[in-house]
Amino acid sequence: MGAVVAKRVLGSIGAIFGATVLAFIIMRALPGNPARLIVGPLATPHAVASVSHEIGLDKPVLTQYWLYISHFFQGDWGYSYADGKSVKALIGERLPATIELAIFSFALTMICAVVAALLVTYRQRPVADRILRGVAYVGFGTPPFFVALLLLIVFFRSFHVLPGPEGRLGLQAAPPPTVTHMYTLDALIAGQFSTFWSSFVHLLLPAIALGLSSFSFIVRLLRANLLEVSREPFLTVARGKGLRRWTAFRRHALPNAFLPTLTAGGLVLGEFLAGSVLIERVFNWPGIGSLVFDAIVKQDYAIVQTFILLSAVIFVLVNLVVDLLYAVIDPRVRIPSVATA
Amino acid sequence: MSSRLILGAEGAATLRPPGLEPPAAGVGERARRASRALLSDRRIAVPLGVLVALVLFAIFAPIFWKYGPNTQDLINSLKSPSTNHPMGTDQLGRDVFARFAQGARISLIVATLVTVAGAIVGGLIGLLAGTIGGFSDGVAMRAMDAILAFPPLILAMAVTVGLGIGLNTAAIGVALVSVPWYARLLRSEALRIRSLPFIEASYAIGMTRARVISRHVIPHMMPVLFIQMAAAFGYAVLGLASLSFVGLGAQVPTAEWGAMITEGLSYSLTGQWWISIFPGLGLLVTVTAASMLSDRLRDLLDPRGEYARL
Repeated sequence: MGAVVAKRVLGSIGAIFGATVLAFIIMRALPGNPARLIVGPLATPHAVASVSHEIGLDKPVLTQYWLYISHFFQGDWGYSYADGKSVKALIGERLPATIELAIFSFALTMICAVVAALLVTYRQRPVADRILRGVAYVGFGTPPFFVALLLLIVFFRSFHVLPGPEGRLGLQAAPPPTVTHMYTLDALIAGQFSTFWSSFVHLLLPAIALGLSSFSFIVRLLRANLLEVSREPFLTVARGKGLRRWTAFRRHALPNAFLPTLTAGGLVLGEFLAGSVLIERVFNWPGIGSLVFDAIVKQDYAIVQTFILLSAVIFVLVNLVVDLLYAVIDPRVRIPSVATA
Repeated sequence: MSSRLILGAEGAATLRPPGLEPPAAGVGERARRASRALLSDRRIAVPLGVLVALVLFAIFAPIFWKYGPNTQDLINSLKSPSTNHPMGTDQLGRDVFARFAQGARISLIVATLVTVAGAIVGGLIGLLAGTIGGFSDGVAMRAMDAILAFPPLILAMAVTVGLGIGLNTAAIGVALVSVPWYARLLRSEALRIRSLPFIEASYAIGMTRARVISRHVIPHMMPVLFIQMAAAFGYAVLGLASLSFVGLGAQVPTAEWGAMITEGLSYSLTGQWWISIFPGLGLLVTVTAASMLSDRLRDLLDPRGEYARL
């Protein structure tokens, strides 16, 4: 167990190192002046020179790399060219909205995927199965921003059942008193049920748009795994010793089929990080994604660069956590001898 | 009297259960069998037909259509679909059908280039890592791990920001992201093929390593490479459109599907849905066809799959 953990942690440190080197090469070593990227196209030559000096472009490459990563890991992420605020403050401001959306979307994705997979495998509905496979195909191949647009046109513009692109709350509603920064939770804590409902319905469409491609991926994986596991002899044994069908399914098939899905958690996070940039703008969601989208349009690259490197570090860390979790749950990973026995 | 005697030797061959054909003699015979299996498969006809239709559309529609993709006609702006403008007109009075056709051309051409470039670079890395091994294998695979440490689309964004915004740099970004998938897959294929008995036999009859690689290892990799390319083509279309959507890929006024969706975004909620919907449907159909094609190819060709017919 200890050896497995140590190996994975070392591997992740290596991956983060590799990612910083790659980001450094892309941003610094390739042609194009990174100082110009940071200060923007309208800045004076003087400003370019001072930023060049500040980020150490006049120093040797290795020193530059060291400055680059030490600044990054100290949280010294520079300043937004567009409004002069520090990138750290801007990201901190926008983080809760993105996290709330991501958590909600993740929960929705997982619940729907498990329910749908159970419906077509345990309840054996062939028509539902065909529909689900079709949805999974199309959902996986549809860009999230197009899904977002379709949802808005159908549920907001045509049927007026869900709110349009107005952010986290309706225009009249005031945000609930801050406790967790999650509007839904804060509203519940303060007992403001109308605010809770408003933030909940505002979350629905962005969460579906963000989660659809992950749902498609996970539901296909889960369906295939459930079908495979239900052919295993140990399920026949479980039924043979007198367990009811549902009990055998819940206790023996589900956990085994769910394991590979856990690994998909890392992929889902990658989808969400990129997806936030693609859909938050469509819903005017005040999160990191729309911050980055606007920064790209304004060529405000200090924000974009930070987001890119931050995404890589978070991505690696979450994948590490998933792998360690896997080792805790699955005895075949935890105790190597079991796998070979 | 047994049927074998009645039918003779030739008839006996046809009595074999399907899937148990005698081992293929050579690379040419294997390729012929693969193409026969593909052409006689009904379920591959749908995605293949859709993609062929899209290619023909992208080639001929911009030539024969009466409007150009960037011809403005401000008097007729924001008109809903009609017989004259089957997909309507946008805020500058440009014909959306003409732009859609131009967008199909751009998406298919750039995604094809991206797929081929990724396959060549990633394939070579995988082949060399898998056949040479040792130190270069370690270095190459660590480099691939560094690429995989990024969420895919975000690395493509990084490349585009670093090299300068535009369709060309977006294409480089998307191609770079696809490289490690080819490299890992083909490396493991090379390792698998290398351990097969006929490779040992080839060395035993005195073939050089270069000849074994070019004559046996590379041809045997092809099915897996094609499966991966079909999937990567879908991702390339999607990735390019996504980068254009956020403003990192094709720039105004290029008629690219992702960029068209951004341009039509604010009009979609005021009722002019046609500007964004048609390019979005184009993306959906193209990417879904590519992933269906890839899945079916995997069923038919993957040497490790249970359905392999070769």
